[in-house]
Amino acid sequence: MERLIDSGLEELTVMVSKMGGVAEKALSVSINGFVEGEDLSKSVHELSEILVNRTVEVEEKAFSLIAKYQPVASDLRIINSYMKVAYDFERFGRYAWDISFVSTRFNAKTVKCDKWIFEYIEKMAEKVLQMVRVSINSLRRLDPELVKRMTEEENEVDKTYFEYLDKLVAQASVTNECTISSVLVVRYLERIADHAMHIMEAVVYVATGEKVTLR
Amino acid sequence: MTSADGFSSVSWWRRLVNKSMTILILVAVVLAIVPLVFILAEVLIQGGSVISLGFLTHMPAGPTDKTGGIGPAIAGSFTMVGIASLISIPIGVGAGIFFSEWSSSKLSTVSGFMNDVLTGFPTMVIGLFVYIIIVLTTHEWSAFAGGVALSFIMIPIIARTTSESLSLVPNTLREASMALGVPRWRTIFRVVIGTGKTGLLTGIILSIARATGETAPLLLTAAASTHYITNIFNQPTASLTVLIYNYGTSGFPVWEAQAWGAALILILLMLGLNLFVKLVIGKNLTEARME
Amino acid sequence: METRDLKAIYGKLQALKGINLKFPENKVTAIMGPSGCGKSTLIRCLNRIHELTPGAKVQGEVILDGINIYDSKVDPVAIRRRIGMVFQKPNPFPTMTIYDNVVAGLKLNGVRNRNKLNELAEKSLRMAFLWDEVKNDLKKPGTALSGGQQQRLCIARSLAVEPEVILMDEPCSALDPIATAKVEESIVELKKEFTIIIVTHNLQQAARISDYTAFMYLGKLEEFGETVDIFENPKSELTEKYITGKFG
Repeated sequence: MERLIDSGLEELTVMVSKMGGVAEKALSVSINGFVEGEDLSKSVHELSEILVNRTVEVEEKAFSLIAKYQPVASDLRIINSYMKVAYDFERFGRYAWDISFVSTRFNAKTVKCDKWIFEYIEKMAEKVLQMVRVSINSLRRLDPELVKRMTEEENEVDKTYFEYLDKLVAQASVTNECTISSVLVVRYLERIADHAMHIMEAVVYVATGEKVTLR
Repeated sequence: MTSADGFSSVSWWRRLVNKSMTILILVAVVLAIVPLVFILAEVLIQGGSVISLGFLTHMPAGPTDKTGGIGPAIAGSFTMVGIASLISIPIGVGAGIFFSEWSSSKLSTVSGFMNDVLTGFPTMVIGLFVYIIIVLTTHEWSAFAGGVALSFIMIPIIARTTSESLSLVPNTLREASMALGVPRWRTIFRVVIGTGKTGLLTGIILSIARATGETAPLLLTAAASTHYITNIFNQPTASLTVLIYNYGTSGFPVWEAQAWGAALILILLMLGLNLFVKLVIGKNLTEARME
Repeated sequence: METRDLKAIYGKLQALKGINLKFPENKVTAIMGPSGCGKSTLIRCLNRIHELTPGAKVQGEVILDGINIYDSKVDPVAIRRRIGMVFQKPNPFPTMTIYDNVVAGLKLNGVRNRNKLNELAEKSLRMAFLWDEVKNDLKKPGTALSGGQQQRLCIARSLAVEPEVILMDEPCSALDPIATAKVEESIVELKKEFTIIIVTHNLQQAARISDYTAFMYLGKLEEFGETVDIFENPKSELTEKYITGKFG
């Protein structure tokens, strides 16, 4: 039976899903840009702006659904979660922008950078991008099945993060644009992974009603 | 022909039909009222001249004596209707309560049906019945017998009007009272009857008016008399209706005139009772309904 | 208060099929469910009003303070003084004044002491949030009030006999939103002193004022729990379907 709220919920779902796509694109473009040394900051900036506007739209839509239909149970959980997830996507956009800013500012590739630094960053970037994709897909299907794997991945990312910092302190030969920008980027990557976990928490909440902290 | 023409010719026809119908209905109403008006007029004219204080209090005199009165007849009527009321009000109201509050029981449906049959029962037969069981066994005409006969006529009416008035009381009031922990009988007496009391009163007064105008049963139970009675169990009792019958068919002009006078009194009494119901009780009813 | 395996019958129809429910003391419990699920029947069994309907029968137990109110030794009239009821349509006694309406339960049970009546009348009207509006008009007929005021009058009337439990059968469904709000306010205050059980078809009302919710379906108890839990994450799929409006 089609309820009045169903069309509103569908609109909201589509909005959020599209946001997810944009967020994923922004991240992959900017991270690749950093790794390849390309200046893609303009397109990343555009994508980030889109995400900021969409977040406001999602919030407004969610509030109007709440005010009009006073949803309960699963409806309420979904709306609640979408609002939070929209914020996470906005953050993705922000971090994507930050990474591409660093990339442009410090022109890391043109400066001589230790190979091992780039290896670490590439490894972390790959993991984090994968986490972002999984979280967005889980959200689309509202399926918390991959939570365990994600938690393991996140622990890996954290481990890599701290490992890198320690190694940097110990082994870096010189403090330059490369090392500084790598620290910033690694920091952003860790935050991105964190937000991906936040999205997974929302997926769990919608599916089971349980409020978990996975981070 | 334009559509405007079509409209005006149809409405002209319709207005004509409307008006003729209205006139026909008014004619019907007039025809219905006319008998009552004529009777009242006739009674007023014929009987008005006879009325006086003496007329109302003196005992009857000979057929040519103009000083005779209908005092005992008035007293007799009052007495017998009074006896009938004393008997029929408790029984009738009680039965009415049973019909309304225990309407689901089989006994209620069966006795309710029997009650309705009694309502329109031939009064002559009732009179005959009481004649047999009281007059023949006591060998006396009496006001008591007359009262009993009248009560047989009043009880079904009171029972039916009581049961209908009480049925009109919404069930939610009964439930509200029971939910307060009020026992059933108190709920019935204080709440249900309290709410339906105007209907009850109306029924009682109308049945009194009806009984006052009965003749046949009194002919066979109280007969007639020229005296004020001193004992209700062993003396024939005069009544307005029987007096009207006797005097009116006597052939003596004086008596016939007095019959008209008695008729006037009777009709004034009945009109009075009916008006009382309409104006006093009806007013309360409408006030209550407007809230 | 609790029920044990409560069954109720109307003629040939079994309206309640064995209900086991514990009503927490001094809390508001809402009973909800689609039309015909038996919620009105259930509440009418709790103060033995159901059995007044011709053809109605009750089996099972309803326990109040450890006593089964359906026990043959128990006087139903006395029980109804301990368990009060407010009905869907306000039903003040039309021939009585406001004051008489409030104390009707007392007067009809023989209480004559003027002071006690006055005291209880004021106390009950205050608890029903009606005192300020009628304190100067106590002699006016009960039916001269607006719908919302009449319903609060009925609440005051049931409070005056000092019950322990108050049952309410969709008390606000015949009222406008402002009157509804006032009644809901009074219910929230009342639970401090009484246990309240309210049948409602209004989900938001249950969410607003109840601490616990029982969801019924086709004469059975489908789910019972704290209102917050039921409205955020119901355990039964039927409950979820009902409260999200996926079936009537």
